[in-house]
Amino acid sequence: MIYQVKHKTVYEYQSMVSLCHNIVFQVSGNNALQEINSTKCTIDPEPNFIMEREDFFENKYFYFSLQKAHKKLVVESTNEITVHPPTWLSINPAETPAWESVVKLLQSIDTSNDIRQFYLESPHVTFLTAIRAYALVSFTPNRPIMEAMHELNTRIYTDFTFTPGFTEISTPLEEVFKHKKGVCQDYAHFGLACVRSIGLSARYISGYIETIPPPGKPKLAGADASHAWMSLYIPDIGWVEFDATNNLLVSDQHIRVAKGRDFSDVVPLKGIVYSGGGQHMTVTVDVTRKN
Amino acid sequence: MDNQLYKEDMISSLLHRKVKSNSPYFDEITSPDGSVHPHWEKILDTFNTLGKEEMDERQLQLKRQLKENGVTYNIYGDPDGMNRPWMLDAVPMIFGEEDWNVIESGLKQRTILLNHILKDIYGKRTLIRSGHIPFELIYNHKGFLRQVDKLKIPGEQQLIQYSADLARGPNGKMWVLHDRTDAPSGAGYTFENRVAMTRVFPEMIRENQIRKINTYYETLKRTITNLAWQNKEEPRVVFLSPGSENEAYFEHAYLSSLMGFTLVSGADLTVSDGYVWLKTIKGLKKVDVIVRRVDDVFCDPLEFKMNSQLGVVGLMEAVRQQKVMLINPLGSRILENPGLMAFLPKLCRHILGEELILPSVATWWCGQAAAKQYVFDNLEKLIIRKIYSDDTSSAMYGSSLDEQQIATLKNEINMRPYLYVGQERVNFSTTPSYIDGQLASRNAVFRSYVVADTTNNSYQVMPGGLTRSSADEGTFIVSNQAGGISKDTWVPGMDKDTKSDLVPNKIPQTENVLPSSTAEKLFWLGRYVERSIFLVRLARVIIKKYYETEDNLNVEKDVVLCSLLKSFSNITLLLPGFEDKETLVNPEKELISVITDVTKAGSLNHSLQAFLRNAYAVRDRLGLDSWRILDHISEESNKLKESTRINDISYILDGLIIRLMAYHGLRVDTMTRDVSWNLQCIGSDLESSYMTCTFLKNILSKELDSETEKSLLECVLINNESLITYRYMYRSTIEFTNTLTLLLLNELNPRSVVYQITQLEKRVNRMPKTSGVQLSLIQKKLLEATTLVRLSEPNLLKKGKKKSGSRKDLILLMEKLEQLLGDASGLFISQYFNHTETTFGFVSTKIPEI
Repeated sequence: MIYQVKHKTVYEYQSMVSLCHNIVFQVSGNNALQEINSTKCTIDPEPNFIMEREDFFENKYFYFSLQKAHKKLVVESTNEITVHPPTWLSINPAETPAWESVVKLLQSIDTSNDIRQFYLESPHVTFLTAIRAYALVSFTPNRPIMEAMHELNTRIYTDFTFTPGFTEISTPLEEVFKHKKGVCQDYAHFGLACVRSIGLSARYISGYIETIPPPGKPKLAGADASHAWMSLYIPDIGWVEFDATNNLLVSDQHIRVAKGRDFSDVVPLKGIVYSGGGQHMTVTVDVTRKN
Repeated sequence: MDNQLYKEDMISSLLHRKVKSNSPYFDEITSPDGSVHPHWEKILDTFNTLGKEEMDERQLQLKRQLKENGVTYNIYGDPDGMNRPWMLDAVPMIFGEEDWNVIESGLKQRTILLNHILKDIYGKRTLIRSGHIPFELIYNHKGFLRQVDKLKIPGEQQLIQYSADLARGPNGKMWVLHDRTDAPSGAGYTFENRVAMTRVFPEMIRENQIRKINTYYETLKRTITNLAWQNKEEPRVVFLSPGSENEAYFEHAYLSSLMGFTLVSGADLTVSDGYVWLKTIKGLKKVDVIVRRVDDVFCDPLEFKMNSQLGVVGLMEAVRQQKVMLINPLGSRILENPGLMAFLPKLCRHILGEELILPSVATWWCGQAAAKQYVFDNLEKLIIRKIYSDDTSSAMYGSSLDEQQIATLKNEINMRPYLYVGQERVNFSTTPSYIDGQLASRNAVFRSYVVADTTNNSYQVMPGGLTRSSADEGTFIVSNQAGGISKDTWVPGMDKDTKSDLVPNKIPQTENVLPSSTAEKLFWLGRYVERSIFLVRLARVIIKKYYETEDNLNVEKDVVLCSLLKSFSNITLLLPGFEDKETLVNPEKELISVITDVTKAGSLNHSLQAFLRNAYAVRDRLGLDSWRILDHISEESNKLKESTRINDISYILDGLIIRLMAYHGLRVDTMTRDVSWNLQCIGSDLESSYMTCTFLKNILSKELDSETEKSLLECVLINNESLITYRYMYRSTIEFTNTLTLLLLNELNPRSVVYQITQLEKRVNRMPKTSGVQLSLIQKKLLEATTLVRLSEPNLLKKGKKKSGSRKDLILLMEKLEQLLGDASGLFISQYFNHTETTFGFVSTKIPEI
């Protein structure tokens, strides 16, 4: 499947901004699941300084700074990506190893730290006894890991109500769990907290999803937003992606941008501006299927 | 008292009390058999020979010395906690030569080991992969900064400065209690302690051949200067402090000035084009090296704590660009990790093939099941710590927890075992302290200092350091915050390098630059000192008049006194104040408040506080004598705060005027005529000319009958310090036209408005220029002001309006001058201090919700 993704962020400031510094995680990378055909990032006004870098988790990102006075900043990235169907679609979940054996394997120093680091807590993913208990309802003794994860994914989807505006980035997981409301990053963080608290490694994925319009109606431009989901480490298969917001095992409708411990590692766009007044931000994402 | 008799007493009474108390602690001065160690004996003998009286005197001298050198620290969370005097014990800590050799080689070994571990953690991480260091101990530590992974500074030494807190346990062995690797502090206080001890006990330092500590500072400076990526010949080094509110701000100012580095805070620096720039009054200057005392995650709000206002936005990118060097490099706090202590002996064998010379305090890392079980079984004997320290975590003494707390703690440890360690409680050894006229035993901790010497890839240990002992007997809390007392630390022996002087040579700085924020503080310092002087003078004239007034019960009928009081309200802008009739009838309460109340913006004491605040913030630019005067003024200001009687206030004001004039005089006499001096003078000239105009506008606003006017004019002349000049010049009775001519137009009277504005013009001309050959806007405003004054005709300003007596032309002239001076001040501030982006703070942009 080939997609074109346009991700546009517009900041409008009340008073003149004389200097700003920003970090952008909006450029996808090549991997076994997707190839980048073309990628472009335009920034207006043009930055004085821009640098492409790779982070600790091997994601690409941009740093840029802008020294001319401006009242509006537009960051627009355009990527054309070919997404392949992942191999895990053909796996029979019942034949995956018991989850406890995976926990044991992860504890061993034979497993690489690059995998082990994802079973630890992180700024947005904290362990709570109640969340662990919630996870154990699905992760019953000796249950195959993928089967248990499927069930957990569905339970989160069923128990939680997708409620834009209810949470903020700073809303603690405890609060999200109490009200069972939130947006996709809350779903992802909650899923991560569930599996990490029982000792499994799982990563946060940021990216985009194609939203398929109702039959007969055209797909609305800008209706899509950037998206987040999680991936669970299963030995011999690798990082298997689950999207609790849509109750899905990820197939070829998800376009990945970056992976990390949680949202804080891969914020799509963050910046510091020198300015006295307020600010207004709008984000639009268009995902179009090319073939 | 018989000195000889007493001599016997001082040591023997200490020893006697020791035997009696059956102290459980190892003692520094005695061997287990009770005899005094030779390296202590000689020095204690000297104390004995000095006797109690002399010792009291020397202890007092030490206190005075430190106070006069302005050695202070700040206590957090205490409004009166700013600029507390630093406490130094007359009795030093002494290490015997052999003992010291072990400590020194132990510290060198430990630094080499930690440096190796640091390189590995941000490099290949083989120690973690092989299991020599548990990965949870690193990946869960807040000091593990993923943003600096794979970044290196040139050379093998990544750890540049290292400090360890050491204490001697009951078995007589030195133990490392804490490793300090992020931004170790205290070396400035250590130097000051030595300076004070050398002054007060010169003979002892000489006779006992106490090793010098200077080489440490020289090496530190050389290493820092050598490390720059760029501009290696003459790198620009800045010392980044969190600011004047920080606990150890004195030290930041002191060390930076000792080393010749520019003292800055985050707001002084800015990143653009991938470089770090220092904002100075001559524009932006490239920075090559930053010696930081700002904690790691506060250094760059873009990449770490987004709400930090102490750092520099974009700093990390400049580090990656290799345009700037941070010392210590970011990421080194990962070594401030008590969990690591449990693994150091094995790591030492593995990496260096040696036994660890200096043991750490016994540590059990709960991330290992057996160790956790041991901690649970021995809670009452242990201290429980997290592997990193931050505001939310402090050490817990197992023995002081109740059942409920123990249950909660165990629960928390079970949930996250890898975040906790249990450590043995070390009973630190005791050393004698001179307390209340006798030697008393106090528990002590010693902080050592190690620095990389990049010229030969080695580490150098300071032969000495900072010892701190507890304020009370039998406690182990030695921090300044908790009232601990510091000690100089002596190591007898031969210096390898004997040529070094006490004060390290200052390597000439590239160029003496003035950060804009410091420039701004100097400018306001000039303004507030002048304002304070003016207000103190006026207050004194008013109080004198108040005492003299014939009818104390009908103050409102004394026109002169009323005019003075009203002008006080108008100058301080504390209105209505005496413009209110009721207040005027009973002025005492308001008068006390406008003088003493620091919470009232504009009051005399508020102005004094603003003066002091600005002065302390630029203390590194002022001479030692100025510091001394500032401390006195600070004391007077505090006394003023407490005063409730006019009589007391009057007495304090008499003292204050002398001190303020002394400060003023020192500035004239001793300060180099550089840009710092010029800025203070510009502030002073602006303020005094402005104050004079405001004062004249208010006090001479109405024509009065000639007798009253004469009496009022006399007060005006006194207040302006021009009465004697007047008498000398005119030899006639005091009258309006002559007075105004003297105060406004006389080009030779330094107290006249025209003189002050002319001076101001000259000083502004000396500032670095940005415009071409034309006059700048500031110069134009000042030219207009002097011209207006010169063209004025005092005799035409005398007449008041027929009915009201109001001198409208005089008021208009003064208002115009106020406006021109105000404009000039505003223009000056925006040209030299405000680099546009600092006009506001910075904020993070909204983060897109997903």
